[in-house]
This record gives sequence, C-alpha cells and structure tokens, in this order.
Amino acid sequence: MPRYELALILKAMQRPETSAALRRTVESLMQRGAVVRDLENLGERLLPYAITKHNQKHSRGAYFLIDFYSATNILSGLLDHLHRDVDVVRPTVLKKDDQVSSSNCCGPQQ
Amino acid sequence: MFQVIGGRGVQVTRLLAPGRAVLVEAVRGRKSRTDTVAKSKQGRIKVPPPVDPTEMVVLKERYAEYEMITRALRLEFKEEVLRKKYEEETGSMAEERSRQEAEEHRALMVFNDQENLRMLQQRVVRIQMEKEEAENKQVEAAIERELQQQEFIKEKEREILKLQEDAKNFITLENLDQRIEEALDSPKNYNFAVDKEGRVVKQTMLQ
Repeated sequence: MPRYELALILKAMQRPETSAALRRTVESLMQRGAVVRDLENLGERLLPYAITKHNQKHSRGAYFLIDFYSATNILSGLLDHLHRDVDVVRPTVLKKDDQVSSSNCCGPQQ
Repeated sequence: MFQVIGGRGVQVTRLLAPGRAVLVEAVRGRKSRTDTVAKSKQGRIKVPPPVDPTEMVVLKERYAEYEMITRALRLEFKEEVLRKKYEEETGSMAEERSRQEAEEHRALMVFNDQENLRMLQQRVVRIQMEKEEAENKQVEAAIERELQQQEFIKEKEREILKLQEDAKNFITLENLDQRIEEALDSPKNYNFAVDKEGRVVKQTMLQ
C-alpha cells in the first residue's frame, strides 16, 4: 500500500480539545481502512499568514504530522471529511517518498 | 547548285549562243512561276559559265585517274579489314588461342573451388567458435539472472522483516490515547540552519 502523510493544522485549542480532535481524525482514518504508523507534533506555532476557515480567522495553529498507509480511493473522501471538521484549519495529504540513502551526497569533501 | 544533267521535270534552258552544249537547271528563287519578270530582267537569257574544252578534257582525264586511284585504295583498305576480321575468327591462331583460353578458364575454376573449400573450412570453424561463445554467454546470463533473482528475494524478505518490526510501533485503537498524549507532550522541531562552513545549528526558536 502506498504511504501518505497528513500534515494537519488544528485550531489553537486547549489540550483536551486538541486531543479529542486528534482522536477523531485518527479514528476516521482507521474507519476508512488506513493503518496509522506514527503521530508527530510540530508544536503550536504562528501561522505564516492569517487563515480564515469556518467563519473564523486564525493566527496560530497546532501542527501535526500523521503518516499512514492506505488505499488510494479513500483520500478524496477523507479530505472532504476533514474540510468539514470545524477544528481543522488546513488538512494536506502528501505522498511519502522512499527513504533516500543517508550516505553523503555529492559536494565538496571536507 | 547547278547540276549538269538533262531530264524530265528539270527546266532546261537552251543555249542559243553557239558553242554552248551544256544544259543547265534553273532555280526558282523568291518569285513563283506566275509572277511577272522584273523590268530590268526582261529578255534576259541566263548563260552558264564558259568552259574551255581542252582544259575540260585534261581535267576530266586527270580526275578519272585520281578517282580510280582513290577508289582502288579505298577498296584495298576495306578488303584488308575484312581479311583481318576473317582471320580473327577462323585463322590459324584462332584455335590455339581458344584452346589456351579454355585451359586458363579450367585452371582458374579449379583455383576458385580450392579457395571456396578453404573459406568454407575457416567459416565452419569460426561459426563453431561463435556458437560455443554464445552458449557460454547464455549460460552465464542465466546464472546471473538467477543470482539477481535471489538477491531480489532476499531484499524483499529483509524489507518484510523490517516492516514487521516497525508494525509493532504502529498506532492502534488501544494505544491511541497514549500516543496522542505522548505526541502532545513532545513537540518535534525539524528546522535547522547551515552556514557555508558546514556547521549545522538545530536549536531554533519555536514561536
């Protein structure tokens, strides 16, 4: 199965609400048959620009990274669902490339 | 232009002046026979150039002799050519030559056959070598392919094992809450800075 990454920007909320939103998201993923591999938190940061979503203007957001394995046909439904979620400011699904070899790339040898 | 002949269809102009025994032929020119003669030419009688009889006789004799000689020479030469051609085909040397040519031809054919034989042998040997080479190459290629396949299978097995190991860390419904708490507790920062000397700085300010 191909491997995807959901870069999720949630509204800046209190901890229990954030965890509830995350739980909701992951459960919706699993319900569509995805296998969630890992969940990372990139912190609560200033958004690069003010984003207006669900009739609300946001200047701060909580960034999360969920990588999962899933079928290809569920993605549009998932994005639909996430756009409708009030707590989600911006969902983005990206394909995950294969790991590059960690050897030194070309460049001046030091 | 003027031809000294007499005959039907040729307009003969009789010479009324004495001593003229030559008949000449008139040429039509620009005007046809129905056009009127020009005023300046009315009553003109054309006369041929005068001929000196003695001179004519002498010339005639000389010309006759000359022509006879040239005709004789011409015929001589023609005869020589014909004779040469005849001798070429059915002369005494013709048989010798044809026999020699046949000899030569036979010898060359024999030589050709020998060469062909030699070439054939060389070719056979060469083809044999090439076939063996090709077979060796094929065998080697097959072995190579087998090795590649084995490598591939091993690689895939390794990947499967790795994935199985990773699967132990996946998120399931049971450890969902725990993982969420863990994630919220430890924010990760992927930002870093590099300068031209290659020094990496991982400590950045998180806004």
